[in-house]
Amino acid sequence: MVEGLELLTGKAPRPQREQAKTLRDGSRIAVIGAGPAGSMFSYFLLSMAETIGLELDVEIFEPRRFCHRGPAGCNHCGGIVSESLVQRLATEGIRLPDCVVQRGMESYTLHMDVGDVEIATPLMEKRIAAVYRGNGPRSSEPLETQSFDGYLLDLAQEKGARLIPSLVSDVRREDDRMTVICADNSRAVYDLVVVATGINSRLVEMLETRTAEFARPERTKTFICEFKLGRDLIRETFGPSMHVFLLDIPRLEFAALIPKGDYVTLCLLGDDIDENLIDQFFAAPEVRERFPGGEIPGHVCHCYPRINTRSARPVYGDRLVFIGDSGSTRLFKDGIGAAYRTSKAAAKTVVFHGVNAQAFHDHYAPLCRKISNDNQVGKLVFNVASLVQKARFARRGILQMTAHEQHQEESPRRMSGVLWDLFSGSASYTNVFLRTLHPAYVGNLLWNLVSANVWGDRTAGKGRTEREADHVHH
Amino acid sequence: MSTTDRKTSASVELPFQIHAQPLEKLPPCQARCPNSGDIRGWLGIIAQREKNGLSRDDAFDAAWRKLVEFNPLPATIGRICPHPCEDLCSRNDKDGAVSINAMERFLGDWGISRNLKLPEVPRRQRPESVGVIGSGPASLSFAYQMAIRGYEVTIYERDERPGGMLRHAIPDYRLPRDVLDAEVDRLLELGIKLASRVDVGEDLTLSQLREKHELVFMGLGAQAARRLGVPGEDGPGVMSGIEFLRRRKRRLETGCGHTVLVIGGGNTAIDAARSARRDGSSVTLIYRRSESEMPATAHEVEDARHEGVEFRFLAAPTRIIRDGVNIQQVEVQGMRLGEPDGDGRRRPEAISGQIEYLAADSVIVAISQEPGWHTADTILVAGSWLRPAADGRLQRGLFAGGDDLGPGIASRAIGQGRHAAASAHAELRGYPRPSLQPNCPPLMPDAVKIDYYAERQRSRTPRRSESDWLADPDAEKDLTLSSEQACEEASRCMSCGLCFDCQQCFMYCNRGGFTRVEETCPGKYYAFAFDACEGCGKCIELCPCGYIEARDGLT
Repeated sequence: MVEGLELLTGKAPRPQREQAKTLRDGSRIAVIGAGPAGSMFSYFLLSMAETIGLELDVEIFEPRRFCHRGPAGCNHCGGIVSESLVQRLATEGIRLPDCVVQRGMESYTLHMDVGDVEIATPLMEKRIAAVYRGNGPRSSEPLETQSFDGYLLDLAQEKGARLIPSLVSDVRREDDRMTVICADNSRAVYDLVVVATGINSRLVEMLETRTAEFARPERTKTFICEFKLGRDLIRETFGPSMHVFLLDIPRLEFAALIPKGDYVTLCLLGDDIDENLIDQFFAAPEVRERFPGGEIPGHVCHCYPRINTRSARPVYGDRLVFIGDSGSTRLFKDGIGAAYRTSKAAAKTVVFHGVNAQAFHDHYAPLCRKISNDNQVGKLVFNVASLVQKARFARRGILQMTAHEQHQEESPRRMSGVLWDLFSGSASYTNVFLRTLHPAYVGNLLWNLVSANVWGDRTAGKGRTEREADHVHH
Repeated sequence: MSTTDRKTSASVELPFQIHAQPLEKLPPCQARCPNSGDIRGWLGIIAQREKNGLSRDDAFDAAWRKLVEFNPLPATIGRICPHPCEDLCSRNDKDGAVSINAMERFLGDWGISRNLKLPEVPRRQRPESVGVIGSGPASLSFAYQMAIRGYEVTIYERDERPGGMLRHAIPDYRLPRDVLDAEVDRLLELGIKLASRVDVGEDLTLSQLREKHELVFMGLGAQAARRLGVPGEDGPGVMSGIEFLRRRKRRLETGCGHTVLVIGGGNTAIDAARSARRDGSSVTLIYRRSESEMPATAHEVEDARHEGVEFRFLAAPTRIIRDGVNIQQVEVQGMRLGEPDGDGRRRPEAISGQIEYLAADSVIVAISQEPGWHTADTILVAGSWLRPAADGRLQRGLFAGGDDLGPGIASRAIGQGRHAAASAHAELRGYPRPSLQPNCPPLMPDAVKIDYYAERQRSRTPRRSESDWLADPDAEKDLTLSSEQACEEASRCMSCGLCFDCQQCFMYCNRGGFTRVEETCPGKYYAFAFDACEGCGKCIELCPCGYIEARDGLT
């Protein structure tokens, strides 16, 4: 019945050179999952095929409806898209309308026990866009915004992909073709299967149990919830800013409150976020102050989505490729950007190079490796950030350096830029890391560490100063 | 500041946890079925056969067995039931109700063609014997349920053959004799004794019967026809709908003339009108309300019209005018609809001065049935319906069900027989009375997520070509679904309130809280680990059939 899954992934990682399997007119492609990776892959595939006059039969399997509110229609994420990605998508013909992307945010506000600092958009070009992946939180009123994932899926369908509203329960290799089996027991044979299920689906786990070679991405637990505070109150208390917290809480790597219309999304990333950690976060004065009356309101919707901490291995096989989170994605940030890059690279590979393991090895795997390597650097960067979270003197220095930069129009804003790119995922971790090695950055930071801790510079940006902060603490 | 300080300084509870629990709900079809048939259960066996490793034929066999747990006459009821179950089917909001009635008929015919046997009677018989008066659907159902519980059952039937109104009043074109015979014979094969041509009341008194048996069930039916009560009603040419249908079924001379007026708006009136059409009469049906108030099944009315039955709505006969002996005309009063009456239907009122005379030589009166017993007994009071408790119990050792409690559909009678048997068994064994209430909570409105399910058109019941209807008047006009159609139709069932293995909870629970069980069957596919629940509520929102719900007190 179920053959060994070494067959599912082909003879990867290093198959013999063989006659390339290529797609022909009428080739059938199954895309499992209609998140950004699946929809963008279908869109790119059909666009590229069109340019060379190739007619493909693309079916996207997605049982969920993005028009549903609450977790059922959602794809569980903070919903931040960097403006650079929005622009990049526009050049691909994916022009996200205003009803999908909310561009209300103009800054990040960094909250630490030593004070707050607002980081304005660098050079007024890299703005932050927020999206709802589904149709908003549970039992919300109809939103002005539309589902981001739903929009991309519509686009793929306009290109000619067909939506099959069924849940895929198994994928098998049979006679050099791939068979996709659905929960309702329907099955069909395909020339290529593209797994874009993300990692919050059991499917990748099931595929893993059937092979010694394929390892699904490693995951960790995060926490996302939605507070309903109302548009006016949010404008008043949060302003047009995304609030990032650098707190001394073990295992917490990143915490942000993201205003979205009538709602505020809380996003906690780190190592296995649990209720204890969430309690600690909500107990932090820096956090409580954000909310009216210092009280954390009840949330309307929450979940503990898993995110990748390591890529899947291998991410391809004969007539099989994993894209987006189920393959390779960036650590903590910019998952949609990774979905874009992997889906485009995979589409290019299958249209121009073939659908066998060798073609993916030569043309798709390098991108995945690049992402993985950058994530290694990312881990280092976040480890440094954790050290900063633990060391008050370091926090003081960073706060002062950033605040100074924000006050000087002409400064190169090295710290602001590093923090911005770290929070938004606009640049690769390698890029961020290299910038922190720049002598001007290092020198400036050292000066600020000394001055902030010795003389106690009080020119930090608006918001609480250290004394006020201490007052709150005691 | 240490983290422990933080934790104690302000304890923040995580609000709005929605803890999930899988819980079976009563589906609307079953809630509406007068016999509370487990429709979802037998459709699910067919729809989910591949998941549970059943071949198609095995699934049909298993579904039939499930079906006959509640109804031993599926081929019969599958033909004649006005199927109220379909009215509330969740599919109505999408692409039309599941053809439950056609599916029941399919399985009934499947059972006959495969010669499937009803559950075996226990080898060790109970010491008590029960007597059953009448052999209509209520009596047959009671006899069946008692026989499979191991009681010795004797049916006393006034007529030659059992079946009651099923045999005497339902025309052949709706219920062929061989279908009824096959199902009744299979039932009698359980060892139920039939004492035919025994008229309780004439040949044997009720008290004699009660002395003979530890327990007696009365399924007397409603044998008397209600009269119009208008001048000229007594005399030749006027007959009741039931009498007309009975004579016709026995291939006796009906005495029906060429021009026939049928009075009434129920299924008996339609059956009589269509039967008279089949004998070549020109038929007009007169009903005092309008078409939408007619109790008859809409498609029967449509078919009757198609066969050439004329309809006169908002008209009531007030006098039958005779030329000495024979009927000449019927005086008809024009009506209009007034205020709604007790049962919500608008009451017809006479329009003064609007009187018509319709030519006729026969009048068939099919306005209602009445109790048919004439004894002046403490139990059988002439002219009044029996009034037992909800489980059919009249007094110790005496139960009743069927039309002797007031006219109703056959599936209600089967339900009453079944409930009475459960209570009778408890009484004989000294058990507490069984509850008549379903043992699972009803499905909340909107609990079924209609848009999850793919659109699938309702199977069309195959029909004989319309031109043949009157040419071969006794042939059935509706045919049975094919096996392929039956599988397709079963898979349209949304399985309201019971897991059908859509796998979404299993696939999307972030915590992996659902584990697939080894031995699966409809409703049992996953084990849920309550302590794994992270309270996000996603499975509740995803569950398309309303099986997974929020646990009380924890929202």
